[in-house]
Amino acid sequence: MANNTFIPVENVFKMRYLEQFVHKVVHCSSRYSNQRNYSYSPINLVGKYVKYPSYGDSPEAYFLRSYGKWWKDSIAAQKEYRPQDFDLLGAEDFIVVEFDCIVVPREIFIYEIYHPGAVIRIWGRLRKDKKWYLLWEGFPQKCAARSRKFSPPLRKYNCLINLLRIEFNQNHLDYHTAIDAVLLSGYEPETEITYELIKNGLTQVRTEKPIGPTVNDFELSDCDTDKPKCSRDVFSMLPDEIILNIFQYLDLKSLSRCAQVNSRWNKLSQDQTLYQNINLKIYWYLVDVNTLEYLLNKIKNIKKLDLSWCNEYQCDFSTRLHYDYHNKLQSVIETASKTLTHLSMNDNYFVDYDILNEISKCKELVDLRLHHTFNWIRWPKDVLTKLVSLDLSMTNIIDQDLIQILIANPNLEHLVLDLCEQIIDMDFVVETVINFNKKLKAWSSWKTMSITSEGVRKFGLCNNLEELDLGWCLMNHVPDGLAEIAQGCRKLRRLILSEWRGISDQLLMPLILSCKELTQIDLIGIKNITSELCEKALYLLPKLRLLDLSFCDGIRQEEVEIWRQQYPHITIQRSCVYLYQNLN
Amino acid sequence: MHSLFVTGRLISRALFNGIHNSFSTATDPKLQLKTEPHLVSAVCGFSKERTIQRLVRGQFGDDAWFTAKYKSADVLGVADGVGGWRSYGIDPGEFSLHLMKTCERLVNLGRFTPNNPSELLANSYYELLHHKKAILGSSTACVVLLNRENSTLYTANIGDSGFMVVRKGRVIRRSEEQQHYFNTPFQLSLPPPGYRADVLSDRPESASSDNFPVEDGDVILVATDGVFDNLPQNIILNELLKCQGERCASRLQMVANSIAWMARSLSFDETFVSPFAERAFANGINTLGGKPDDITVILATVAI
Repeated sequence: MANNTFIPVENVFKMRYLEQFVHKVVHCSSRYSNQRNYSYSPINLVGKYVKYPSYGDSPEAYFLRSYGKWWKDSIAAQKEYRPQDFDLLGAEDFIVVEFDCIVVPREIFIYEIYHPGAVIRIWGRLRKDKKWYLLWEGFPQKCAARSRKFSPPLRKYNCLINLLRIEFNQNHLDYHTAIDAVLLSGYEPETEITYELIKNGLTQVRTEKPIGPTVNDFELSDCDTDKPKCSRDVFSMLPDEIILNIFQYLDLKSLSRCAQVNSRWNKLSQDQTLYQNINLKIYWYLVDVNTLEYLLNKIKNIKKLDLSWCNEYQCDFSTRLHYDYHNKLQSVIETASKTLTHLSMNDNYFVDYDILNEISKCKELVDLRLHHTFNWIRWPKDVLTKLVSLDLSMTNIIDQDLIQILIANPNLEHLVLDLCEQIIDMDFVVETVINFNKKLKAWSSWKTMSITSEGVRKFGLCNNLEELDLGWCLMNHVPDGLAEIAQGCRKLRRLILSEWRGISDQLLMPLILSCKELTQIDLIGIKNITSELCEKALYLLPKLRLLDLSFCDGIRQEEVEIWRQQYPHITIQRSCVYLYQNLN
Repeated sequence: MHSLFVTGRLISRALFNGIHNSFSTATDPKLQLKTEPHLVSAVCGFSKERTIQRLVRGQFGDDAWFTAKYKSADVLGVADGVGGWRSYGIDPGEFSLHLMKTCERLVNLGRFTPNNPSELLANSYYELLHHKKAILGSSTACVVLLNRENSTLYTANIGDSGFMVVRKGRVIRRSEEQQHYFNTPFQLSLPPPGYRADVLSDRPESASSDNFPVEDGDVILVATDGVFDNLPQNIILNELLKCQGERCASRLQMVANSIAWMARSLSFDETFVSPFAERAFANGINTLGGKPDDITVILATVAI
């Protein structure tokens, strides 16, 4: 029925059809580039496609940082705080892009030029509004190794948008995905009145489906119809404790539905024991001041809190709302500070000095994730002391504050500093870690530029080290600390040395001979290594599962093909550029 | 017969490259109608090699070029990869090509200042470091930028590629060669790690930059040393006179073709006293004839 009532607004008003490419990238949760670089960076989404329809690993497209399970399997990766609140489609990353003109969206084309199939959701919004419309969602796809102009069937909304939010799930992909451009086409209102009418939903046309993910809804409705009808309410005979126990396994959405059943359930659903772990990341589009207000009374005993992505009030339409939300966020953390052990606020605009100040008072914190929070520079006076995992990737943390944190947290095991470009003397950071964080198991400082051979050498003293990500760190030196690492870090499982262009067989050989636990080795862009080294690695390392030899010019493709057949359990990556394939 | 065949292929190749470009300027009605100052350009060039290895738009042998437009400026550039890298197993054309491609991309994205081509060159150079594929080698480069707002030409030049601007039959500006010593120009380089100390490498900031106002009809020639080493200035000037104030891209193309073709013929002429031979003589080297080299010519006229 609902389908029939939809009347496209362009049939009612006189509107101009237009197609436009991205004007500006507003936000992204993952990037393969440094802040000021253009290669592989989100900036490449701006404007018309340049590479499509060629297919390949080209620096002129936007690349996501991760692919497959390799990053999730890392010991430093965040574990789910509340496993029942999971995203069915598994969104890992997102990007928000802005377009010049405000349109009623009718078609979207995403030009994927490398390992397509990661797009799972597309949202649209007006920059000056807060409501996101889910334009499309679908499961991640396995696609052929061909460039693709992806055009999902959009839901029919008569809404005005100039922002698109694209969500990705790249867990099933064999390698990094790349996007060249995004095209949004639709109808632009010609007059102010048309604009206002559509904006305020006064066009008297009904939308096809309710807003928000519907996958869950479908499942629920299916369950409802299958359930045999009981005349007696068995549930009401159960004692509160049992019901609470059952409620514990519900996700937040179901829990809030239960709260509407009757007064008893409503009372029970507000019990504090149900709110020990909260994950609001997957409900980012619903979280507002009221959500936080609702939580505020129930989180006296909270242990784990995930507020990643929940920053929808960072829009230009109201500074007051922004302010309220910020204050509420601050009081949530303040209330939780006594008991909170895990806190994740990835990609959250609102993390600034004030919020950080509250965070630093959560003395029990064990796991803190502040990936891509860029509105703060200095860490407050108070420092945490019980941290085990710390993720500060894509932040502006500076040497002094980081060192202060490191010294105060002797139990630190996982440290993620990817793309922390403000750190000037990484060698000294490494030295601090050696002296004060003896338990360190995972170090990641991908694409930070300030480490030298001296710093690398010091990792040899980190005897518990299992994961070492130093990709893009030492591009133009001939490093000589690898022998020390080979000597000291026998437990090493994951080693990322992308673009260490000065490395040669002799320097790597000790690692392969002594670190028998290695499961992942990344040697992207190292010209000098030969097939001899790779054969040794494949043969001598029983646990090896991933070997990335992309852009290693010393190794021929035929050899890689032979190895792939010889060692089918090992994924050997070999990315290529088909740069000049001009098909226009 | 063979040489005729090869020549035919070379010409058609040069034309393919050039015409492709002229189409992009000639057929775009928006650019034609524009009253703002802009450049009408044509490109021609030849690889030094008599056999053709690959056909890549934006490349002639080890030379590379680009032309790009943005709201605020028209930009032209050439780069000449240093051939010495071949003996290290490094393709010299790769560095120059990527340098120019990156410049082009930065212009297309608007990530440049319309009065600072040196910065564009420097950013492009630093960007090369961040490719997954290690791009090694070195190159000279010359970038010319027409700022649409004040009709001023901004130039940046590093090494012995260069530009020449002609107005009413007179050379009003010509780039100066930057050389360490004879036949060894300033160059941007990304040597393989470990060779750093042994390699000549000039900072992109050392590019000589210049700016001067241009008028309607001015002719701009941007070319690699393959042209300036083989063609005496008066011959170039004679050719440039033909396209004074030319707005038609295909007629401009014909002049570009003839300059490139003359440079190529003379570069293989063993008896011709080329500018290169003259300079060699001044440096105490007794040599005669042209200097076989890759040749790239970008010819542009200012339309205001």
